[in-house]
Amino acid sequence: MLRYIASRFLLWIPSVILVMLGVYALAFYGAGDPIKLIFLRAPGDVAYDPVRIEAIRETAGLNRPFIEQFISYLLNLAHGNFGNSLSSGRSVWAIISAAAPVSMSLGLCAIVLTAVVAIPLGMIAALNQNTRIDYTILGSALFLWAIPPYVAGPLLMVGLLVLLPNVPVPYGWGGIFDARIILPLIVLSFQPIALIVRQTRAAVIEVLSEDFVRTARAKGVPETIVAIKHILRPVLTPVVTQLGLIMITIVNGAIFVELVFGLPGLGRLTVSALTDSDYPVILAITLIGSFLVMLSNLLVDVLYPLLDPRAADTMKSR
Amino acid sequence: MATIPMTPAELDEPKTSLWRDAWYRLVRNKLAIFGLFVIVVLAFAAAFGPYLTPYDFLSQDLNARNASPSLAHLFGTDDLGRDVFSRVIYGTRTAFVVAIVVTAIAVTIGVALGAMAGFFGGWFDRIIMWLTDVTMSVPNLLLVVVINASLKAPLAGWMEAQYLATLNPFFRETIWVDFILVFGSMALISWPPYARLVRAQVLSIRSRPYITAARALGLTTRIILLRYVVPNAVGPLIVSVSAGLGTAMVLESAFSFLGVGVNPPTPSWGNMISDGLRVWQHYPHLLAAPAAVLGLATVGFSFLGDGLNDALNPRGSK
Repeated sequence: MLRYIASRFLLWIPSVILVMLGVYALAFYGAGDPIKLIFLRAPGDVAYDPVRIEAIRETAGLNRPFIEQFISYLLNLAHGNFGNSLSSGRSVWAIISAAAPVSMSLGLCAIVLTAVVAIPLGMIAALNQNTRIDYTILGSALFLWAIPPYVAGPLLMVGLLVLLPNVPVPYGWGGIFDARIILPLIVLSFQPIALIVRQTRAAVIEVLSEDFVRTARAKGVPETIVAIKHILRPVLTPVVTQLGLIMITIVNGAIFVELVFGLPGLGRLTVSALTDSDYPVILAITLIGSFLVMLSNLLVDVLYPLLDPRAADTMKSR
Repeated sequence: MATIPMTPAELDEPKTSLWRDAWYRLVRNKLAIFGLFVIVVLAFAAAFGPYLTPYDFLSQDLNARNASPSLAHLFGTDDLGRDVFSRVIYGTRTAFVVAIVVTAIAVTIGVALGAMAGFFGGWFDRIIMWLTDVTMSVPNLLLVVVINASLKAPLAGWMEAQYLATLNPFFRETIWVDFILVFGSMALISWPPYARLVRAQVLSIRSRPYITAARALGLTTRIILLRYVVPNAVGPLIVSVSAGLGTAMVLESAFSFLGVGVNPPTPSWGNMISDGLRVWQHYPHLLAAPAAVLGLATVGFSFLGDGLNDALNPRGSK
């Protein structure tokens, strides 16, 4: 298993280098000269002195060819050096490590909330297939899926203010045990919940027609035990495989949720880095995002044989 | 020599076809018909927008700023006194143009690469599949936002230089810069799912018993391809195209919301929502109108996609 994980990680490295190359090229050819960007942003009247700029460029190694610069960037990365932000001059690593815990804890809570809410709801819908309960759950899921987080967030905020006028506006960050996390968490979980409800429902309906379910029922096993022992486990496999997709949904959603609710996480950092053309920060965020998606896909592959022993054999033969 | 009965008439069977069966199944599905209805209405509004809008989307009436919905202005007016109804209809135009062009590009690339990968196999297959892995392993929103943010200024500059050099009015329209970038970057992240789908279809259909049977009957490759391979491969593709159109619309509005998509004054649901967010406490209709239409469009495409899936893959559904 360890060898499998290591090989997956090694396979990820070339793909992430390709992505970084793309973003680096965009920064290099698209955004223009970083030194010029720094000068344009400098406070007060810093003279745009071509001679001085040439000198800075020489010392920073920015007059080398593209590939050479990219390779030296990668070597720095390998040493854990993410470079410095263009807009604040602070180390990118410091900026990222200040913002990442916010997004990570929010995202993890959203995943837990999704699992806790969506899997039971999907099961209930499937066990009551084509009844009013089923249509209500499925309809709500479709509804939630259709509302982008940048619409759901403000609307819920208005709703809260109208219903509970004495509650302070949920804006800002105070850790996961702060009441202000509730609303962003709900908004961030909407689309993943919708996804998993539909996935679970479809999976349960498929499992319901399996022989072992009929056998269990014929034996007189109580319906709740059938649901938990016989149906839930095979259903978890197709649901868990959606983790990568959920990760992408959450990473995308976090950009909007953090913007709307004023959370100092990676999502808001992304937007501010983009408005400032702060490429060292953007590159680092791209790296982290890609790493997260890779990690969740890897987790799926590792969890799969544990959940479904039938898949373990094919794993071994790989 | 006695001929083998080949056509339905000769076989004495009721006249039917894959498409007719699928159509009957689709019409019976109320949700799918609702989705189709929504899409047809929106497509009509998009196609004939200029003849339907009561006002020009740019015409300002500063005496009627932020007016609530009324008979004169169905969805009210915005902060410049522009008619929100007309702007939403023009936004529908933007959404459809982006969704259709992006999906068309993505499907073309995806089908071509996927079919070739499935057909040729070997190293070509491996490279294509690796590329889809790479593209799908980066949070897609992030990638598109980075591309748009970094290429917008250089491309606009290039257009301006072209205009000054050639005086061709085509180059003066900065709107093309937005559209080219949005089309290109969104197509870049949208093609991998199509490629994978088509490749998997080609691989699985190639080894199906009915293909072997058709070969054994001595049918020509052309007939096998047209009558057996294409109809069976195209069903899942139609389903995913329907879903892809909805996704593209949501993505487009997300980019406009973040300010990297289609720029004002060109109306887009995303930038209308973003504008509406600033004043929703006072003028909720400015947020509600574009958000509701966007939600409706998403629900429509998702209902239709589900219905098409059930209609075209009868074995997969109950």
